[in-house]
Amino acid sequence: MKTQSFIIALLAGAFALTACQDRDWETPEGISTQPPYGNNELVAGTTITIAELQAKYANTIKSNEYKEITEDLWLRCVVTGNDIGDNLYKQITVQDETGGIIIGINGSDQGARMLVNQKLLIRLQDLFIGGYGEQAQLGIKYWNRKYSEYQIGRMEVPFWEKHVRLIMDGSPEAAAFGNIKVDTLDFDASKTMAEQGGRVVRLTGVTISGEGTQIIAPDDGSVPPIGGCINRTVSGGNAGSNCILRSSTYATFKGIAIPTGPVEFYGIATKYRDSWQILARTQSDLTWVK
Amino acid sequence: MKIKHLLLVSVLAAAPFSHARTVVTADVDSLDTVEQRLADDDNFTFTESQLGENDDITSDVIQINSNNNIYLSQLGWAWSGIWFKFRALDNAYNDVYMNGVQVNNPENGRFSFSTIGGMNDAVRSKEDVGAFEGNNYSFSGLGGSSNYNLRASQMPAGHKVTLSGTNRNYTLRGMYTFATGMGKSGWAFAGTVGYRWANMQTAAIKGTFYNSFSYFLALQKQFNEKHSLNIATWGSPTERAAAGASTDEANWLANDNNYNPYWGYQDGKKRASRVVNNFEPSLLATWDFYINDDMKLTTSAFLKLAKYKTTKLNYNGTNPHPDYWKRFPSYNYNVWDFDPELNYDYDAYQSSYNYWQDESYRQINFDELYFANRQLSKVGADAIYWIEARHNDQLMTNFSTSYDWNFKKGMKWSIGLQLLSNRGSHYKTMADLLGGEYFHNTNTYLVGDYQQTSKEAMYDVNHGYQRIIEGDRFGYDYDLWNQDVKLWTNVNIDRGIMHSFITAKIGGRRMWREGFMRNGLFQDHSYGKSEKAHFLDGGVKIGSILNLGKGHAITAGVGYELKAPGAAVAFMCPEMNNNFVQNLANEEVVSAELGYALSNKWLRLNLTGYYYHMGGGNEWQQFFNDDAASFSYNSLSGVKKEYYGVELGARIKITSSLDLVALGTYSEARYTDNTKVEWMNSTTGILQQDICHNKGMRMSGTPLAAASLGLNYRIKHWYLGVTGNYYDRIYLSYSPNLRYETNMYNAGRSHGGEYDVPEQAKGNGGFMLDANIGRQFTLWHNPLSINLQLCNLTNRRSITTGGYEQSRSNYSVSEADETSTTTKRTYNFEKNPKKFYAQGFNFMLNLNYRF
Repeated sequence: MKTQSFIIALLAGAFALTACQDRDWETPEGISTQPPYGNNELVAGTTITIAELQAKYANTIKSNEYKEITEDLWLRCVVTGNDIGDNLYKQITVQDETGGIIIGINGSDQGARMLVNQKLLIRLQDLFIGGYGEQAQLGIKYWNRKYSEYQIGRMEVPFWEKHVRLIMDGSPEAAAFGNIKVDTLDFDASKTMAEQGGRVVRLTGVTISGEGTQIIAPDDGSVPPIGGCINRTVSGGNAGSNCILRSSTYATFKGIAIPTGPVEFYGIATKYRDSWQILARTQSDLTWVK
Repeated sequence: MKIKHLLLVSVLAAAPFSHARTVVTADVDSLDTVEQRLADDDNFTFTESQLGENDDITSDVIQINSNNNIYLSQLGWAWSGIWFKFRALDNAYNDVYMNGVQVNNPENGRFSFSTIGGMNDAVRSKEDVGAFEGNNYSFSGLGGSSNYNLRASQMPAGHKVTLSGTNRNYTLRGMYTFATGMGKSGWAFAGTVGYRWANMQTAAIKGTFYNSFSYFLALQKQFNEKHSLNIATWGSPTERAAAGASTDEANWLANDNNYNPYWGYQDGKKRASRVVNNFEPSLLATWDFYINDDMKLTTSAFLKLAKYKTTKLNYNGTNPHPDYWKRFPSYNYNVWDFDPELNYDYDAYQSSYNYWQDESYRQINFDELYFANRQLSKVGADAIYWIEARHNDQLMTNFSTSYDWNFKKGMKWSIGLQLLSNRGSHYKTMADLLGGEYFHNTNTYLVGDYQQTSKEAMYDVNHGYQRIIEGDRFGYDYDLWNQDVKLWTNVNIDRGIMHSFITAKIGGRRMWREGFMRNGLFQDHSYGKSEKAHFLDGGVKIGSILNLGKGHAITAGVGYELKAPGAAVAFMCPEMNNNFVQNLANEEVVSAELGYALSNKWLRLNLTGYYYHMGGGNEWQQFFNDDAASFSYNSLSGVKKEYYGVELGARIKITSSLDLVALGTYSEARYTDNTKVEWMNSTTGILQQDICHNKGMRMSGTPLAAASLGLNYRIKHWYLGVTGNYYDRIYLSYSPNLRYETNMYNAGRSHGGEYDVPEQAKGNGGFMLDANIGRQFTLWHNPLSINLQLCNLTNRRSITTGGYEQSRSNYSVSEADETSTTTKRTYNFEKNPKKFYAQGFNFMLNLNYRF
């Protein structure tokens, strides 16, 4: 009898064991409409277009300086480029109908939070705007150790998250946000930074050339990298006279071969002083349509 | 009367195993100590620190004990709060036996005491011996040996209920034990069940929980006067959340010296990222053959099927852990000293400080990880965050037989054979894709050098560019086999004033690896069986106790041993290929001990000095080498170490109800020479050689100096005690990587062939005050005892219990794996070791009722 009692106690204990504490976790509710990234409390005030913003700070950008945005201004835009291809490093690019701009964020894998075509509402107040190589960029002032000076740089993720709201498709906010039509421009070397910088462009009939191993971004030492990137000359077609394809040696597409003959490809146009630098986002930008 | 009866039964049950305890203690065993009462009352069999449940470092302590030595018998109790390691030895030097069969895991030599936690009554009966004490079951280990008596008849007949409340790893504990004792029919049954519990609201360390059930069942049949068969089975299925060590900066920012970065919030609920699930069901059959009054044969067969897994949040991209070094304020500003070569960003420092004030920033944001993975799955990309489970399953089969013969008055001879086979299965499974749909079985560190879909980047070429979903194995999958045979003998001689023993052993070990994935970097030697490595080891040890009369005794012992390496250190890169490390060899151990003992009616004292030298051994470790953005596998060979020190234990009987216990040790445990190292990065597969300047590095995670003074008072049914402990010379686990010649050159620590070797990081010692009070009652004619332990009464939270140096360097290298251009980092890894701190004030309340 005592033995039976003991076995009953044993079974009761075994039953208690079934109450595991690390249960099967379900996907958190509501993250598809109220994302756990950014600031879902933001409500737009006075909006400004990218073109208007760049015009307002044209001199600051042109002189590669920076300035804090102190007015209560808001930007409605969509993401056009991110770090999913490991080519844009700690940056995203956004566009609206009027223009494009780079946003520097000091964090990796931001593309996993902000996919291409993700709608963003950005509160500009307290952010900094400035120029780097005359290319407009949003961010925060950053201490450049190399030059011992402040420049426009990348903002910390928590700071950025306080200033951005992701507008998710299907959410009530999406309807109020409306659609933003983003065009892919045909690259035109004669355009200004404000007209073309930070935007998705198409280059057609162009030839790509460069030294060393004939892939986009070799890291075998056959070409000395500049800032961790390999520059390939883009000529012919609509490339103009001073255009390069700039790719990181960490890019997921770094190993694809340089095409022979004229091709078409896509990328983000960025201004660096007198030259245009095209940044491919993923391998799909470099399918080399002939 | 009944209590006396129970005690008598216990003593009788243990009698066959007590001959090693009989020399010096005979006239003082009547001392009724507080510790003995505590032990009787279930409060102390294993403390949390002794369970070895810390996953970040080797914290497994040794369960040393001895009735011959007051120091050995007390230290486990007195210094458990600091994870004290006996003589700074690894647990692998402590041999653990169950009914005569050795149960240490041969892969690493260790025994996990957590597997017998929660079944205190079942494991109370054991024979402990020090390194130089004779016994009848083993060639004792350097850290001593224990032989648990798991026969059903050894447990006192009756029922016993234990209820406990505490604020430690667990909050509540309940145990129930029932035993019949040996009945007239020749049957004995004993069993115990236990349950220990804490959830995330009650556990002492934030973000942890504890959920453990324990059982033990034993059935014994005494067939006749000569033959007895005992079958015992036990297990302790446990689910618990682990805590991690942290830097002082993290603790400061979190205002908590026990800050735990391994948990976060998901959908508003706390979730742990490192959850350990462990269940090691064991079965032991023992045949006792009492051949005659002077001869006995004990034969045991043991089977264990251990399932162990621990989860970890992993990633391909940005480290999502809140204590990632780039998230700290000091990443932006050198807080240690001004370095004109570095420029600082104080604004960023302040911003980071402010972010850390928010708990959501300093813990894992699971919701965001789900969101990121969900977003990526929309565009057909792999998940970049996941929780993986790292499995370490063991299938152990052991057989032992030992023969004892009292072949002459005062002379005992034992001889035994141990056979062991162990298969350790090591693999990873995808536990939770955190909202992602899949992940490819690809070495992402290689992507870039090789195409994502290339064979080289595949973890398993046999399965191609394989999609992994939840439950799948990925990364690595291999078995490590150890097979041992050991023959030992032991002769104990009592002659005149001298009790002596001589023991010897000889054994063989073979081991191999069997891979179940064809790694892309090692396609020819990762799948299938490796070559087999064979080792012949053995040793001899002699010791004596010389009774000088009037309670004085001198003890002495010397030993020489060759100890075969385990599979845990035998393979260069077991996660990737079948290659053995080079220079794999037996460890040579020379040991000596000299002691003085005094025992009289008012004083019992032991003073012992010891010296151990170990040479030729192998050590192995892996870590993430961010200079190369790669996992690095490192093998040290020809390791030379020495351990020496002095130990004092004394119990002074001041009055019949008051005694004073003093303990102290001052020891040294360090590497005596620099060591050859071979290392390989997982991104290259190329073996490199270097010299590790580890000469002078100390063993870590334990005080090398400790002292204790306690007063124990007993009156009527009350007993109480107060103990003050002081700890010092606590070192953290050194990082070999920081001391490689190449790395020291890169760090600017090489000056014309001379190296400025970084000093080993140290922890804080300090004073800790403990107390306990208890009383025995009679309830319904049965004994009820209540005991309250109060630990760290002064709430000292600055005492370090362990930790480790980070293997990362204070500079970045522009070209991986080469002596090349370096750039200083603002963040100082050398100044930021990760530490564990002792818990502040904690208590344990116990109620025991026997009926």
